[in-house]
Amino acid sequence: MVFYKQKMSSFSRNLADSRLPQIPGVKHGPNGTSFVSTGIPDLDKILGGGFHLGSLVMVMEDGEAPHHLLLLRNFMSQGLVHNQPLLYASPSNDPKSFLGTLPSPVSPKDDKSRGPETEQEKGLRIAWQYRKYFGENQLNNENNKDAKKEYCNEFDLRKPLKVPSLGAQHIDCFSILESPNLTAFRDRCSTFLAQVPRNDKGIGCAGRIAIQSLCAPQCGYSDTEFWFSGERNIRCSSLNAQRGFSLYVDRFLKSMLRSSNAVAVITFPSSLLSPSLSKRWQHMADTLLSVRAIPDEDKDLANLLTGYQDMVGLLHVHKVAQINTQVPVILDANTFSIKLQRRRSLVLERLNQAPVDGSSGTSYGTSSSCSSSSKSTSLDF
Amino acid sequence: MAESICRALRDGALEGEHAPALTIKDTLHTPYGFQAFTHVLCSLSSNILSAKSQSKCLVLIAFEKSPSFYYELLRSKGVDVNTMKNWLRILDCYSDPLGWKDGITGSNDAAVKICKNVRDLEKLLSYVLELGKGVVGQGKVRFSVAIDSVSVMLRHAALSSVASLINNLRSNNQVSSIFWLIHSDLHETRSTTVLEYMSSMVASLDSMVHSSNGQRSSSLNIFSIEHNSGKGKFNVRLKRRNGRVKVMCEEFHVEQTGIKFVVISSGNGMVNHTLVPKVQFNLQLSEKERADRENVVLPFEHQGIGKEVQIYDGRRSLPVEQNETSPVLTTEKSHAKADQGKGEIHYFRDSDDEHLDSDEDPDDDLDI
Repeated sequence: MVFYKQKMSSFSRNLADSRLPQIPGVKHGPNGTSFVSTGIPDLDKILGGGFHLGSLVMVMEDGEAPHHLLLLRNFMSQGLVHNQPLLYASPSNDPKSFLGTLPSPVSPKDDKSRGPETEQEKGLRIAWQYRKYFGENQLNNENNKDAKKEYCNEFDLRKPLKVPSLGAQHIDCFSILESPNLTAFRDRCSTFLAQVPRNDKGIGCAGRIAIQSLCAPQCGYSDTEFWFSGERNIRCSSLNAQRGFSLYVDRFLKSMLRSSNAVAVITFPSSLLSPSLSKRWQHMADTLLSVRAIPDEDKDLANLLTGYQDMVGLLHVHKVAQINTQVPVILDANTFSIKLQRRRSLVLERLNQAPVDGSSGTSYGTSSSCSSSSKSTSLDF
Repeated sequence: MAESICRALRDGALEGEHAPALTIKDTLHTPYGFQAFTHVLCSLSSNILSAKSQSKCLVLIAFEKSPSFYYELLRSKGVDVNTMKNWLRILDCYSDPLGWKDGITGSNDAAVKICKNVRDLEKLLSYVLELGKGVVGQGKVRFSVAIDSVSVMLRHAALSSVASLINNLRSNNQVSSIFWLIHSDLHETRSTTVLEYMSSMVASLDSMVHSSNGQRSSSLNIFSIEHNSGKGKFNVRLKRRNGRVKVMCEEFHVEQTGIKFVVISSGNGMVNHTLVPKVQFNLQLSEKERADRENVVLPFEHQGIGKEVQIYDGRRSLPVEQNETSPVLTTEKSHAKADQGKGEIHYFRDSDDEHLDSDEDPDDDLDI
């Protein structure tokens, strides 16, 4: 039986496998994998269900925009709503304060109002934006909607989540600012992952790890990796210390993740790291996303992209996890616009752009970002 | 634009947010970064003096110039020296940064503190906070920090320590805003990128002449340096709270009295023209084309103007009549290229030796 992408066709495979117990927050996917929700309904659809348990998700930050925080916040909130253990690390002195910025889920009665909004647009249909109209069929499918409500919530970014006391909710926060060689980090991760081991009895509980801005420049260890790459050595350091850092973080973390029922989402500022480290981490990731800033009040972009006023940034999906299967996941579209619908919930949409001249090949080939002003910038579609 | 960044620094930080941070960067081709820095410094000072700004004090970490230079500068802008002690503190890293001179132990000026070891950035941070809190006290009142030149700081300390110093300053509850100057060609690109990452506004001074591929002329043109007329482009990238980046461009002129910023009328169009790929067809008509289109007489049965109907079948030319407008040709391939006021359709054949109807399917191959 051929596996169709749910959003693109009217066939939908019944994935509910009655042999395995249903745990709230965890969905069973094909090939014996399980998903947890990303916290953003659109992203779940794009990735084919959510984040795979046991996978490593890396998000490449853009120095000019804080969109990676939006992804992290929704991810963490979803975990808290489902009562899943959470480990959070950030390069700030007080990581707990970030918990105060997590969004709370939208109450069900507000959710229904999303339906009628698309009805109003029925008057005008734009021919080359035909793909936008496929999704309308699924809104009428009641079954889908109920299942979605349990698995993935829409979050209201304006309302903060009331996080109960730490003990009750299995939330652990720590700061990665000061660890010189990250042994503390390693220990925290291993104790956390020991809570959610993977064994034959089935999935007890799914855990979430969220790490913000790994290897940010203000952390003490960020220079050591740079020396390892061999560029402009100012001081010498022992080879062990140099080599240890980057390889050990991702290899260690990835191997621990595989044998546990947890998902780790790590954001890192790829433009600030040495190219070799950045590439290594990109290859290490099972799912790789990147966020990009867009210029403000740009008339040309406003003409080119519809819905520019609501857009806050771009999300690019580089790689989707391929677990227990040889079949790669090929998406129809890789770049999505991040919009704040009515300023409160996060919506990802495919980019609808005007037909372009095929001869301007630079807009397709290069992956330059809006953040570099000295290079000629072009959007990567 | 210079006004908007001065305003952003004046407004300062919101509760629970990092303080706004400005990077001013320049290169050898446009070595006027220091003038821009002093411009921002004077603007913030006047805002502090007139109590319009969130911050009530300015702590200046001086690496490149001595404190007396800054006193002179502010005096020339009309600020009274005596009142300066109420709101200005200078951390003097210029006189004796590495502690080589034994004689200087303290200065006679209470507003100036000499730092003898600029390598120890933790100590530097504590001096800055001490100086700032000395004026505003503990509590909710905030102060601003200006760093004369991060380039000099980077000479003495590692990038990660400088980054953590800036991060600590930004996240401190009592810092309202922070700005610094860096000479970007003195460092690796990584240092400049890190500082841009840590700042919420980046202002760069570029030369007027941009090479076509956008690289900041790596080919050193000796004559271009000599012709540095004190003019250039002031490009600002502002990171807004909603995650978008506001890109602005101005021109600046450096004169005796300081630096002046002029808004360019062409605005943002030039900056981002490479972002837009060319659309395949031009749906817009120019004014002339629109007017001409109105004048074309269409070869339909009813023109709607009450005249006699002339149907042209494409084989013979119309008999010319005085009252009629000039003959029109109808083929599928005709396109409207009109004369002034007459409204003709001109058809240009591909080659002159074609027969009249060769555009249509030739029936030569039919054997009837």
